[in-house]
Amino acid sequence: MSTYKKRAPKAPEAAKRDPLAALRMSDMVISKPFLPIELIAQIVDHLNAADMVRFASVSRKMHEMIYDDARWVQRLKKMGVWSDVEARRTGGGRLSISRPERKSTINHSLVNGKGRPELNINGLPASPRKSSTVARARDFDGFDMISLSGPTLEAANPPATKEETLHALENVKSVRGQARQEYGKVYKVLNLFYVDAIHAVSYQSTRIFSTFALPEQRALMFTNIRTFAMSDFSPGTGIREQRIHELIMQYDTAALLEFRSGYEYKDIAGRMKQYAHVMHMLNGGQSGVDLFLNDNRLLSRKSELGSVSDCVDYSLGYGQLSLERVQAYFDRLGNAYRQEAAVIHSVFPQPAEVSLLYLERFGEELLQPFLTALFQDARTRSTSVYLRVLSGSLQTTSKFVQDFALPENADEGMINRASAVLVKLFAPHLQSYLDEELAFFRQNAEREVERWDRNLAEQAASAESFLMSNINRTADKKDFMASFKKVVMMPVNILPSFSKPTIKRTDSGLNPSSRSDSPMPRPLTPALPSEAPTDELAAKAALMTSRLDNIKTLFSIDVALNLIHAAKSSLERAAQFIALGGPSGEIARERCSAIYLILVDTVGNKHVKTGFDKAIEHLSAYDARSQTPTNPTAHLGPVVAPLTTFVELVNVGDLIQQMLDVFFEQEIVRKGIARRDDFVAAPVKEKRKFEQMLDEHVASGLGKGIDVLMDEVEYLCATEQLPTDFNPTTQVFDAETVNKRASVFGVGDIDVSPTKPCLHIIDIISKHIGMLQGSTDKALIDVFVQEVAQRLFQALVKHIKRQRISPLGAMRLLSDLTAYTTHIASYRNPDVTLYFNALREVSQIYLFEAKTDTEIDEMSGIIADAERYRGVFTVEEVVEFAERRSDWLAIRSKVEGRVRGEGCLLM
Amino acid sequence: MAETKAEQPRLTLASSDGEDIPVDKDVAERSVLIKNMVSDLGEEAMTEAIPIPNVNAAVLKKVIEWCTHHRADPPAPTDDDSDSRKKTTDIEEWDQKFMQVDQEMLFEIILAANYLDIKQLLDVGCKTVANMIKGKSPEEIRKTFNIQNDFTPEEEDQIRRENEWAEDR
Repeated sequence: MSTYKKRAPKAPEAAKRDPLAALRMSDMVISKPFLPIELIAQIVDHLNAADMVRFASVSRKMHEMIYDDARWVQRLKKMGVWSDVEARRTGGGRLSISRPERKSTINHSLVNGKGRPELNINGLPASPRKSSTVARARDFDGFDMISLSGPTLEAANPPATKEETLHALENVKSVRGQARQEYGKVYKVLNLFYVDAIHAVSYQSTRIFSTFALPEQRALMFTNIRTFAMSDFSPGTGIREQRIHELIMQYDTAALLEFRSGYEYKDIAGRMKQYAHVMHMLNGGQSGVDLFLNDNRLLSRKSELGSVSDCVDYSLGYGQLSLERVQAYFDRLGNAYRQEAAVIHSVFPQPAEVSLLYLERFGEELLQPFLTALFQDARTRSTSVYLRVLSGSLQTTSKFVQDFALPENADEGMINRASAVLVKLFAPHLQSYLDEELAFFRQNAEREVERWDRNLAEQAASAESFLMSNINRTADKKDFMASFKKVVMMPVNILPSFSKPTIKRTDSGLNPSSRSDSPMPRPLTPALPSEAPTDELAAKAALMTSRLDNIKTLFSIDVALNLIHAAKSSLERAAQFIALGGPSGEIARERCSAIYLILVDTVGNKHVKTGFDKAIEHLSAYDARSQTPTNPTAHLGPVVAPLTTFVELVNVGDLIQQMLDVFFEQEIVRKGIARRDDFVAAPVKEKRKFEQMLDEHVASGLGKGIDVLMDEVEYLCATEQLPTDFNPTTQVFDAETVNKRASVFGVGDIDVSPTKPCLHIIDIISKHIGMLQGSTDKALIDVFVQEVAQRLFQALVKHIKRQRISPLGAMRLLSDLTAYTTHIASYRNPDVTLYFNALREVSQIYLFEAKTDTEIDEMSGIIADAERYRGVFTVEEVVEFAERRSDWLAIRSKVEGRVRGEGCLLM
Repeated sequence: MAETKAEQPRLTLASSDGEDIPVDKDVAERSVLIKNMVSDLGEEAMTEAIPIPNVNAAVLKKVIEWCTHHRADPPAPTDDDSDSRKKTTDIEEWDQKFMQVDQEMLFEIILAANYLDIKQLLDVGCKTVANMIKGKSPEEIRKTFNIQNDFTPEEEDQIRRENEWAEDR
């Protein structure tokens, strides 16, 4: 390309049309190289503003290129003062549409590298001279701006005020088409300081320093020129930026010195605050914050706040770590911290951030050593002290963080960071703590059970005491569970002097009859209310225990209660750590469920299961006959002692299971250790296993119980049923009886009330079944009842077949059977009721006098009428019953003949 | 100029004035133009001279010298983000020395870099020119770039007044 070509206006078009033009041009001998305009545009990118505007006056084309708004917008963007959003709002739609069009026109002609911009393309009349006037009329860049910017700049020729200089960057408006003017304004005020600063020896010798007096102003100016340097694209900008950075660092160091002396002289609101802001402006204020944290008075004087030895309470005559004293220490700490926090808030422009940093440092330097020492001390004293102190400290510390360190409107990030401090403080101790806690509880639980077992062994020799009796178990249990729930829901008071809102809540639910008015060592502490229901529960437990006296040899509700209490306090302590979240929280959660597992295991397998095993053993060993001498029927009514014991056991087992269930709900589910419906979770599984175990034992025990019960029934039948009961005719008849019978039945008087063994048996059965009600699964009870009824039925059949029954005695038998039937029917079990009905039907065959043939016929008819017995008995079986008639020998042949005959007839 | 390494595949570039210049393939491929051409031509490119019709031997050798020195540089960022390009660091020392040539040669190098699509070389060239015209008056600039003044004196005055803010005080 050559210069003369450029001057020929028609050439570009010719070149454009002729595809070979480029080739031809390349063949030309180049005398002096001429850079196409797109390359010049690239060169211009590397110029500073002054050179750029000088470039603009080189020629029209250059003018147009330089005045391109995008060029200046880019510089404003580099300084971070251009907002596209604002530009879109301020610049009208038309403006922003026309711009790219026009720009593309320019570029199009520029790319050709020759000739002037072809405004013709837009269909406008365009002689080069006129184009400027056209542009002035319709466009915004270039000359048309003169009227806008000219006067203002000329008027503002006197140097800008300090205020304008300081806020030059803030005042930039994002208006399309005026980016050059806006940049010009910034350049005008800042370039001077910028150039000066680059050549300055130190920050004191800069123009900024001599022009501005206030440290904040100086700082702002330094940041201004730092920003301004961003728009400097010319070569060497890296060095210049570095230079500015050095100056700022110098100034920052100086500010830090001022800040430090301000801190030393306690000039908090003055110099400290001033220079904290200066440093914040210069580079985020990190160095000032560091200094504050490193040289903090509170941190360097931490020993004045007290040490672990202050937390030992000697008032009892011996050294004991006292949580109250730990709490007092934290109170002192809190006050001191509050002061520091106030300083932070008044000094630093970003108090929230600094207080978090301070808190982190505080935790690291002050709390960490203190807590470590405290825990070590506690550990050497005893495990329980250690556990109490550690969990107590966690509560105190987290309260401390919440009360003092976090502002009220703390956002999530802050809370997270604050709890991270907590985690950092406690995580190192967590593992050992949880291990201890677990071991402690396990040991306690085992000891408790062991002690009980030992006591039991000692008592084994002494006679089993027998029962009280028909207390209302369901009501008692409900009452007991109500107290239990109250206690479980009560938070364990780790810190006696801490008023936790939860305690206040339970306050209202306090039973007024409890001993809250009794003299207490610290009557004002909120710990008091929690004691009352506990006492209430203890009283109820004692009552329960006394009522369940007879099973104390098997297992004790007391033990279970103690274990649950221990588990609860362990859990309460350990569960706090769940709140720490993260891996620590996870470990804590695991341990909590482990505690629950141990609880269930100890109560379930070690305690309840052994008790059940023993009770079942007792049951199996029971022999109705051998027990007779000691059978306390005389004064306690008819009971089978081991079965009663066992049923009581079932009751207590059920109670314990309910307790565990409530405990699970309250402690495990509520604390988020496991979810109720999470079937895989270990606590849920363990609980299920326990319930299953209980059910199994109850079932097998009841099976044994039925055997025992039936033994008793049979024994009673055998021993108490007098032969005369159903066969009075064999006895010497006194006239009186006969007369009575005659008056009632028309045949003779007879005792129609059920016989003594019958009443006795019904009594026994109803008592035992009654005791079971509500103590275990309903279905289980139904099965039990059915089994008992069936076995009773068999026993009765056997019993009847052993008797000899006269028509007179049949009345009594019938009334016995009616009594049984009525009683069994009261259990609403249609199957077994059927059996008893059939049995009653059968007993009618004894009513016939069988003196005449008709009567025998009738009787035989009844015997052969299988429908009557609804399939319970076959005819042959009924005949077997008939054999028990006292006059059987006399009527046998007739009856058998008729029955068979009928049978034949039927067949 | 081009260092010869036995194991390196070599190309031959034919300058506009008919000189064949052998060059290592990786050096030549600093030029995006040549790189694309080689990948288009395949094996053929190895055997036949590649014509570079817009660049004469002297300039081409100079360009190859630059490419050889920068053969191990990471490739220029491909995205044409003008912002990042403009804020590249200053010219490194070797490049500064390399660019100490007369203006004619400098422009030729820029043109060649532009034609051959060697972005970093073009950048260095532009910066060098920018440095050159720093502080120059419009008239001097015109001379440098061989541009005709097509302003009226009034217009020129207007522009000057518009941009008074840029005048150093």
